[in-house]
Amino acid sequence: MSRRLTEETMDKPEAAKPAYTGFGDEWKPSNLTPAEARAATSWVEAKIDKRSMLTRKDRVEDIRDAMWQLEKDGEIVVHRVDERHQPVVAKTLYGWEKKIPTTNHWHHKSCGQCGNIPGYPSSVMWLMNELDVAYIDETDQTSCTAWNYHGSGIGNVVSLAAVFLRNFHQAYVSAKAQGLPEGTFYPLVHCGTSFGNYKEMRIFLMHSAELREEVKKILGKLGRLVDGKLLIPEEIVHYSEWLHVMRDKIRERQTIDVSGIRATVHPACHVYKMVPEDVIYDDSVLNGDRVAVSTGLLQTLGAEVVDYSTWYDCCGFGFRHIIGEREFTRSFAIDRKIKVAVEEAKADVMIGHDTGCITTLDKNQWIGKAVDKVYALPIMADCQFAALALGAHPYKLAQLHWHASPFEQLLEKLGIDWEKAKAEFEAYLEEVKAGRIETLYDPKRAITSGEGYVKPPVPAAIAGPAE
Amino acid sequence: MQEHTAIGDPVSAAPAVPYEKLEEVFDDIRSHLLYDHELHGCLNCGICTATCPSAYYYDYSPREIVQLLWTENLEGIYDAMQEKIWACAQCYTCAARCPFENSPGGLVMIMREVAIKHGMQSAKDVLRPFSRVLLKVISTGNQLAPNMITREAFPDWGPNVSKVDAPLNILRKAIPVPTMHTMDTAWEVNLKTSVELYTIWEATGVLDQLEQVDENLFDLVTDVMDEKRDEYNEWLEEQADAGE
Repeated sequence: MSRRLTEETMDKPEAAKPAYTGFGDEWKPSNLTPAEARAATSWVEAKIDKRSMLTRKDRVEDIRDAMWQLEKDGEIVVHRVDERHQPVVAKTLYGWEKKIPTTNHWHHKSCGQCGNIPGYPSSVMWLMNELDVAYIDETDQTSCTAWNYHGSGIGNVVSLAAVFLRNFHQAYVSAKAQGLPEGTFYPLVHCGTSFGNYKEMRIFLMHSAELREEVKKILGKLGRLVDGKLLIPEEIVHYSEWLHVMRDKIRERQTIDVSGIRATVHPACHVYKMVPEDVIYDDSVLNGDRVAVSTGLLQTLGAEVVDYSTWYDCCGFGFRHIIGEREFTRSFAIDRKIKVAVEEAKADVMIGHDTGCITTLDKNQWIGKAVDKVYALPIMADCQFAALALGAHPYKLAQLHWHASPFEQLLEKLGIDWEKAKAEFEAYLEEVKAGRIETLYDPKRAITSGEGYVKPPVPAAIAGPAE
Repeated sequence: MQEHTAIGDPVSAAPAVPYEKLEEVFDDIRSHLLYDHELHGCLNCGICTATCPSAYYYDYSPREIVQLLWTENLEGIYDAMQEKIWACAQCYTCAARCPFENSPGGLVMIMREVAIKHGMQSAKDVLRPFSRVLLKVISTGNQLAPNMITREAFPDWGPNVSKVDAPLNILRKAIPVPTMHTMDTAWEVNLKTSVELYTIWEATGVLDQLEQVDENLFDLVTDVMDEKRDEYNEWLEEQADAGE
């Protein structure tokens, strides 16, 4: 290969240099034969099939070290994961420890999930009710605004960091509405993009005094500082990490056998490719070569998790593309994910743990009929699958009717009578029309300030020790 | 001193771009707060492009983006900002794979921000279909609302928004999460929350970016913001009166 490079390309006289090609001045064509190209590609594939990011271990900084130093220097205050949150320690990519709270959660909802896949958050909250886990779901929160940023370029690091710390500050003070100490509730981030974005923002904030200063000015105006300082979370936690550390307790309540299900997992890019050092890996889950969340849960529930060659590919969401250039989104979703899961992995279902991925993979199968790419693969989030395994109602709780993919065939395989369940839900809609609505928690708890706020009595179950 | 000629496309009627403009654009990219965080060097290994979803379907290569910036190829940078940077799917697979710990996806975001700052027509064109999301996120803090998902907006998603046929407001109330009984936003947003968000937008130049991209949308958003602020101030006054 190198001989050919020397003889055919590198010896070209400068005068013969071609015009601008878009490849940069230093670029030289490799002129690989098809066999050589295949060999090179195989090398790349072999690398990415392993936990290749481990090679960077010595070069990556644990940003929490910088965070503790800044707190020591009196610049910031850290919202700690403490005994009130009953944390379980998980290991991340490099074997570092990450504390995952298991109770007293502040639900940081996802706009895409709540707007489009409502069974996603309702399944998380239903599982928490089943496991007697305390939480608050309140109206004083915005989305992370990062979908918009990644799609449009409108927004910037200062706005994203300010939105991040505003929301997390609200999580910190939210317990006051129930007469509880600050910090009682800890943020649990539902969306993968929010999770990745917030982790990036924490790094940028710790690295840049200029950014901290700019954000501090804004949060000062909003009354969102603690003792005049920025409040930084000790851990940024995704709901799939909570599911992961709770998976054995979830299994204890399992009522439906899922052992006959071949499941593929779509790991979300913004969950494990952004700030990869903060992602949970477990040697007992696919040899630790894949992110452990979702896969570990499915295995614990007894499903057969099937690996597939394009596991590392994104879903095709694209942020901008899902809205304005859907031919890319649907082509990628079908060709690189759905088709492979169906034909190669013979999957019964594809499980995800992020908003845009579920939307993309679920909604973009129907159009395949137009080009004779006819696939029918149920798509849902890990929490929805877990809720079904614990006997949650597929329509009232898992809200599967919002899914375009054929979840009915999965329910049949699980022995769930979906037609009966659908009829029950349709009957429930009549109750809803009459104003008889069932909810997972007291709606009054959602309002923590402003119009409509009613101070409730302190529930003994969530009253932890005072700071 | 080296003389520079304006850069033009021989098959385009568009006027040539003066060299000073190219420098100005590159200076804005290079001075971005995150530039040094996202670019460290490049040996042209191409692992980023090998794993890039957009490279499958577009004339787009993250390796090319990194090379253009690393070699300070001003013409190529400007050219890539007209179309190529908008092909990136923002998955950050490139960043996860790069042995130099570059983030081509992050560099693309810097270039998109600068394209907007310079009011490039290409940015305006490409973002036109995104205006509903922009309106929603800037005026409410939610990026997606249930009533945005319609058969008309997403005809390629199939015949059913929901597989149970019922009015949207009833289906939303049948979600067992009280904050989600909404149509215009993904969840019920506290008025004070929206007003706080507006302060963030104003302080960080986000509204200026919006005005660059779409003046009509900017006018619409600022009207909504004024209304909500008035509403919030009225509520505050009511509270003050009640407390007197």
